[in-house]
Amino acid sequence: MFKTLNQRISLVLLVLAIVYLVLAYQLPSFAYTVIDADVVPKGLGFILISLSIGLFFAKDSDTEEQKARRKIPKKDIGTLLAVFGFVFLFIFFLEILGFIVTTAIFIFGCSWFLGYKKPVTNALVSILFPLFMYIMFTKFLQINLPQGILPF
Amino acid sequence: MGSIEGILSGFQVALSLEGILFVLIGVLVGTFIGMLPGLGPISAIAVMIPITFGMDPAPALVMMAGVYYGAIFGGSTSSILLNAPGVSGTVATAFDGYPMAQQGKAGKALAIAAISSFVGGTVSVILLMLFAPMLSSVAISFDPPAYFALMFLGLTAITSLSEGSTIKALISAVIGFMVVTIGIDPQTGTQRFTFGNVNLLEGLDFLVIALGLFALAEVCTLIINRKDLYFENKRKIGSLKITKDEFKEMRGPMTRQSFLGFLLGVLPGAGATIASFIGYITEKRISKNPEEFGRGSIKGLAAPETANNAATSGAFVPLLSLGIPGSGTTAVMLGAFLVLNVQPGPLLMTDRPEIFWGIIASMYIGNVFLLILNLPLIPYISKILKIPRPLLISLVIMFSIIGVYAISFNTFDLYMLLLFGVVGFLMRLFSFPAPPFILAFILGGMMEQAFRQSLTISNGNYMIFVESPIAISLLIVGFLSFLFPIVGHYRRKRKGIQ
Amino acid sequence: MKKCLAIISVAMLIVILTACSSDDAPSNNASGDWEPEKAIEMVAPAGAGGGWDTTARMATKVFNEAGIIEEDIGVVNKPGGGGAVGWAYVAGFDGSNHNLFVASPPIILVPLNGQSEYGYDDFTPLANVIADYGAFAVRADAPWDSLNDLFEDMKEDPESIAVVGTSSPGSMDHIQFVQIAKAAGVDVTKIKYVTDPDGVGLTQLLNGSVEVFSTGVAETVEQVKAGTIKVLGITAEERLTGETLKDFPTAIEQGIDASFVNWRGFFGPPNMDEAAIAYYEKKFKELSDSEEFGAIRDQYGWDEMYMDSAEYKAFLDEQYETIGALLDELGLGQ
Repeated sequence: MFKTLNQRISLVLLVLAIVYLVLAYQLPSFAYTVIDADVVPKGLGFILISLSIGLFFAKDSDTEEQKARRKIPKKDIGTLLAVFGFVFLFIFFLEILGFIVTTAIFIFGCSWFLGYKKPVTNALVSILFPLFMYIMFTKFLQINLPQGILPF
Repeated sequence: MGSIEGILSGFQVALSLEGILFVLIGVLVGTFIGMLPGLGPISAIAVMIPITFGMDPAPALVMMAGVYYGAIFGGSTSSILLNAPGVSGTVATAFDGYPMAQQGKAGKALAIAAISSFVGGTVSVILLMLFAPMLSSVAISFDPPAYFALMFLGLTAITSLSEGSTIKALISAVIGFMVVTIGIDPQTGTQRFTFGNVNLLEGLDFLVIALGLFALAEVCTLIINRKDLYFENKRKIGSLKITKDEFKEMRGPMTRQSFLGFLLGVLPGAGATIASFIGYITEKRISKNPEEFGRGSIKGLAAPETANNAATSGAFVPLLSLGIPGSGTTAVMLGAFLVLNVQPGPLLMTDRPEIFWGIIASMYIGNVFLLILNLPLIPYISKILKIPRPLLISLVIMFSIIGVYAISFNTFDLYMLLLFGVVGFLMRLFSFPAPPFILAFILGGMMEQAFRQSLTISNGNYMIFVESPIAISLLIVGFLSFLFPIVGHYRRKRKGIQ
Repeated sequence: MKKCLAIISVAMLIVILTACSSDDAPSNNASGDWEPEKAIEMVAPAGAGGGWDTTARMATKVFNEAGIIEEDIGVVNKPGGGGAVGWAYVAGFDGSNHNLFVASPPIILVPLNGQSEYGYDDFTPLANVIADYGAFAVRADAPWDSLNDLFEDMKEDPESIAVVGTSSPGSMDHIQFVQIAKAAGVDVTKIKYVTDPDGVGLTQLLNGSVEVFSTGVAETVEQVKAGTIKVLGITAEERLTGETLKDFPTAIEQGIDASFVNWRGFFGPPNMDEAAIAYYEKKFKELSDSEEFGAIRDQYGWDEMYMDSAEYKAFLDEQYETIGALLDELGLGQ
């Protein structure tokens, strides 16, 4: 039944549309308006349902190039997940360790992981770049970035 | 004082040594801040306000105006080189600018962007000078039904932004529209889809979506292809030179979009973003080979870049002649006026002609400066692409994070950025185009608001949408532009069979 | 690449040098029991460029430049949720004496609308500094010449008059109008209110889409001077001073006994030390009295309205009562 890719995607979208609709139906009503806050979301939910049904029956129109994009080697999927993990940690520690420290570690680590093997240049860039950005933002533009554990 | 004398006094301000110096400072700061991903004209103007306090108003405002259009001018750089639009006005620039840069023509892409920006900026200043006083009535002519119709017209472009499957483009747009319904609904104050999270009350910021769907999704592709030799070749920057034929190709979009972009800029609430999208779409519609769009088309790059700069000058019409800020950026700009004890409004032109005309006159000089400053810098700026790929990937991620953090100061938005990065990558994998998503995100919210405002005003009478001549004509154009590609498709098919 | 690095390092060296030279050591002045020991953080619970941000940046500027407070004060923007994100952030600094934030009526309105778990009573009110007022404007050729004319028509045919404001129902632009209209005897549940979040409310008034614009006094001055609109009434207790402003009639003098102040002041986190409260009260008084801040007030058309911590608290309690009752009547309170 769910053989083609389009059919599988359309099911995911259908679930999304239904969840969205359920939430839209729970929106509280407001007494002083002609078109309440729930009208447009409800409409969108139903449109998405009909579009995903349309997609279910649609022919696969992807070109060879688009199909080739989907063939990712297993190893690269691992790399992608790892980088997303790094970004997650970057965000998590940003306000704890501060902008300079977190960013420096991130740039060095992420570049190293992705295959940049010049430790000296890498270290220089990953220290100088965040430092430059930090000073420019906080001192010149008066836009605060997290200071963290460093004293300035 | 007659207006000729007023204009002359304006040029006196703009051409004085002080005037020239401050325009120069303004455009320098503006382009520089604009080039940083995530920092747009709003931050640029806001950080400059305290500095101008106590200064002589004419040169200070000339500088602030320079910061404003300089930031728009510079904003295209990160769109073209990194697919990381920092301001909503430059999203459409990435559609063709980034592919062009990837084909080893980064230098040319930046040069085309600079020249189109210059043309858009300069032509629109001429229009501003000639018609500013008259156009103020155009600026207020748009009532909610007309805005609804305008947004509708913009949204009909979704089908022409698809890459193959129309149904996928529509799904992408509907989801973009759904995302913009998150947050407090302005008309009723009802919280929609916020799950009780305070960080979602004001909805998701445009930048989170744009950097996620474009920059981070592109990072994923770069990671997968990081060792690909084919990609290594794309690090070429190429020559800056634009050939005669290429210039011919730019001429049409530049002329048309200077006018159209300016007009859209005049409308409060429309602004550079909508102008750039509509510019892109109209050029694609009337082009003889629309299939080139999205693959590094010269027209596709020149159109939005001309339009967003033209719209920026256009936005000065309601600001200067009515005192109405038409956008978040011009609202901050209005703040800059107030700090200097200048109140823009209907009386500015007669009371303070040297300021009114000084700002306008300085824009000619500012645009020339921007061109002179930017063209020689292109070879250096585009060296960014020479950075080894692993390092470039880390830097793009860092820039996206700073960009979002500098507007929200909140890690929640950063997690959302990461989420939309994943969404963007999945969309690419399964060939759902991102442009309709972002277009619906920008226009959808405004369309819903205008729709409901109209019906509140008319006490629920739908006739309000056909009674206004502007609204009805835009709606008709919208329907035609929706049907046109479908009919065209059908006709092409029939021809094929015959 | 190497060349690039060299340029960056030189640039940074310059930056660092200039940055260091501006760092002065804090000097001691014996003005109280408590003195800030480190840089003070001032939160504007909104993005750059808005009213809160402007107030915060201008106040810190005067504090530092007039030498009222020697320690550095940095403005931190925490936008989101109409203030709720910023308040939640400051609430995390329980007991800190070095975190301040700028506040105005939304800190009462937003929690009442059920959009923030923190309200004014969760924080330490330090001092109020300025006041701003609302104005109700109509087109110059509109048939009404006073608030009473307008309200009479609204009582007869509420459907024919639309009011526009920038913020959503239940927040400032709406509530200031409702409060005055209620005192005039209008059925507040019938008021037709339209939100224009993109700040083009004035456009909608000028092009005739709506009849009334509920906004701040300062936003109307230029248009009144140019003769495109007229202000039927303002929400201040007494007439304001200044050219044009002095011609705006208050609601009270038109026999409608109601007013609405858009006050702006400064708060600290929960459980701030008494000594620190006293310190800030004193400093905000100095700020309010300073010539520099006076000039800024005039520039933005703000009124002086100083209240110390205790007065401020009492004032806020009273505001909370009044507005809470109003929102309940509208069915918006939560």
